[in-house]
Amino acid sequence: MTASLASEHAPPAVGSAPMSFSGRGGEFLRLLVTGSLFQIPTFGFYRFWLLTKLRRHLWSNTQVAGESFEYIGSAKELLIGFLIALAVLTPIYLGYFILGLILEEQQALASLPLVLILYVLAHFGVYRARRYRASRTVFRGVRFWMTGRGWAYAFRAILWDIATVLTLGLALPWASASLERYRMRHTHYGNVQGDFVGTGWTLFKRGIGLWALGLALTIGTPTIFALMPKRAPETASFWGILVPLSVVLVFLALWPIAMAIFARWQLEGVRFGQAAISSNLRIGAFYGIFLKTILSALAFVLCFGLVVCVLGYVFWEALLPMLGSFDALLTQGEAGASDLGAELANAGIVVAVGMLAYLVLFLGLGVIQRYFMGRGLWAVIVGSLSVSNLETLASAVAAGRPAGVLGEGLADALDFNVGI
Amino acid sequence: MATAVFYDGAVARRRSVAIRVSASSLDIEEAGEWIASWPVGKVRRADAPEGVLRLVLEGGTSLARLDIGDPSDQAAVRLHCKALDGTDAKEKTGRILFWSLAAAVSIILCVFFLVPLMAERMAPLIPMSWERRLGRAVDNQVRLVFSGKICADPGGSAALATLTKRLRNVHSLPTDVDILVVDSSVPNAITLPGGRIYLLRALLDRAETPDEIAGVLAHEIGHARHRDSLRKLIQAGGTSYLFGLLFGDVTGGGALVLASRMLVDNAYSREAETAADTFAGETMTALGRPAGAMAHLLKRIEGNESRIPAFLSTHPVTDRRLSALERLVPAQAGPPLLADEEWRALKEICKTS
Repeated sequence: MTASLASEHAPPAVGSAPMSFSGRGGEFLRLLVTGSLFQIPTFGFYRFWLLTKLRRHLWSNTQVAGESFEYIGSAKELLIGFLIALAVLTPIYLGYFILGLILEEQQALASLPLVLILYVLAHFGVYRARRYRASRTVFRGVRFWMTGRGWAYAFRAILWDIATVLTLGLALPWASASLERYRMRHTHYGNVQGDFVGTGWTLFKRGIGLWALGLALTIGTPTIFALMPKRAPETASFWGILVPLSVVLVFLALWPIAMAIFARWQLEGVRFGQAAISSNLRIGAFYGIFLKTILSALAFVLCFGLVVCVLGYVFWEALLPMLGSFDALLTQGEAGASDLGAELANAGIVVAVGMLAYLVLFLGLGVIQRYFMGRGLWAVIVGSLSVSNLETLASAVAAGRPAGVLGEGLADALDFNVGI
Repeated sequence: MATAVFYDGAVARRRSVAIRVSASSLDIEEAGEWIASWPVGKVRRADAPEGVLRLVLEGGTSLARLDIGDPSDQAAVRLHCKALDGTDAKEKTGRILFWSLAAAVSIILCVFFLVPLMAERMAPLIPMSWERRLGRAVDNQVRLVFSGKICADPGGSAALATLTKRLRNVHSLPTDVDILVVDSSVPNAITLPGGRIYLLRALLDRAETPDEIAGVLAHEIGHARHRDSLRKLIQAGGTSYLFGLLFGDVTGGGALVLASRMLVDNAYSREAETAADTFAGETMTALGRPAGAMAHLLKRIEGNESRIPAFLSTHPVTDRRLSALERLVPAQAGPPLLADEEWRALKEICKTS
């Protein structure tokens, strides 16, 4: 679906301006596949360029009444953020290691709690990464930006995490509301401050039914099996498989609903001055995407396995001596009898092919995950949104400066997820 | 001229404008009034949905944007604004590839040359007291894995102490070691930093003569004397970090790091193993006992079990190792290292009465 300029629409009344996503799946997939393949020869460094391209595609195809957003971040910034994060993390890792040793001297595994340091850094990084992405988002020539401090956010997030654990998860709606409020109130569009009006209670009411259903199914399914006439073998291994399996299936079945409920609540609470977002996201909106993800992943793994088997069979003659020299080289540390060059080459080929196959498998799954759970969800969510009182934003005056890249760097170095 | 949309970057207002493109500049007018002129050389294209040409002024202080939807306007802009895609818009994939490869090669070189060298140089500089503290830290975890079941039958312990003393006193500066037997079904012997050596009971079970166990213990004492586990720790730490840098950021990199480390560690430790073998050989020869006994024990064990693939093992029992040890026959035979009752007591060190 192509865009049309806002000027060709009738100027929208103070009503709803629908949001739409115009990005073509094929183009996103192309960016994703070529970018992922490039990650192999570049040892993963290409991911900064890939991520920037993906974000640019998603942002610029997200429109409000025909006007699109823009992502103005660059790959170089992400790379620098990563290097800064490395510089910050190296002394932390060293200190962590030494402190861990000192603790281990006293008591085995006493250094495990040190992992909490990384957990704190993760919260800090999440906030700062969002600050970076907000300040690289432009709409109508005016930048979004954020105030607030990463440590203050991390502090709140940790307190809420403790509360959530202590209440066995029941505090989660209020935790989410509080953290969203902190985030949104510190987000600005030009000189218009954002706000979040969703409440923990609303989310609780919407979600409690699902939570109870999930609990009932998790406990109920094995119980029903137990009560059935004794056709099921009463072995421990049977239960060992059945119980976790039913938990996983229940989770898979209900997770899309939970995500939809949460997403809708989260987006409908967003305010910028008078402008508000409303969503008509249906509860089952994500099911299609989840199913496609799972099926695609299974199909991919099957095809991959088939290809490996076929290639292995076809090249069996050539493969056997290669594996032999690989083994010999590493046990004896030198060539057995024949020339060193050929032995090394053979061993090298085995290693290279093995690693390549492994990488292709993982990158393929990564592509599937990003295509459906990244782009797919984005498109569905954006298509369900509309902005009311959009024209009240017309008086927003440009403000704010680009934020630093440390958060994105930490997210990359520590490997935690900050969205797409 | 059809209308375009202009955002001036100062206020978030959509302004309908008319544009005029000439060879030198792009003029923007709103309701007949001139707003801005952009030199064509500085006009760049920004991201926009399909069908829209979004223009931005390079070097401008604001985020002003001009969205053009009309195809003829777009054609006119493309005709006159030659540098739409910027001077450095080409991603220079080649440069990214080159520098990534360079970084990877340098990391790999560091792993294979610099890290072992560093470990080699640093190990002697670390005081024994530090190494012992390190050993205690590692020891606690190792004990956890074995549930701390140290075998302490008095007769067996006495025999072990005798054997240890004989092995240690061969050298004028005896290595500071502390040998204990742990009740485990894995046939192996481990040396920790700081001189603690654990002999696992299953290895003791399969030994047929005291010479076999003495050889293994002498080998481990060699490791302790050369501070091999300390060096290995430093080298492992450095390698993990570097490989983590290299592979950790590729999807699924964690497993690659582990796999690479296992291969590298094996290659590196072969030298240490040979040195420990030589030390064991010298010790046994000085005591007048055959050094090959130990190799027979190891061969026996390897034959009995299906182990992990040979290239992943750190103690490969190769024929070359076997023959090297067998060649070390003492010039003159010495007395048995343990009397028969002592040997029996040692074999039963893990039996609780």
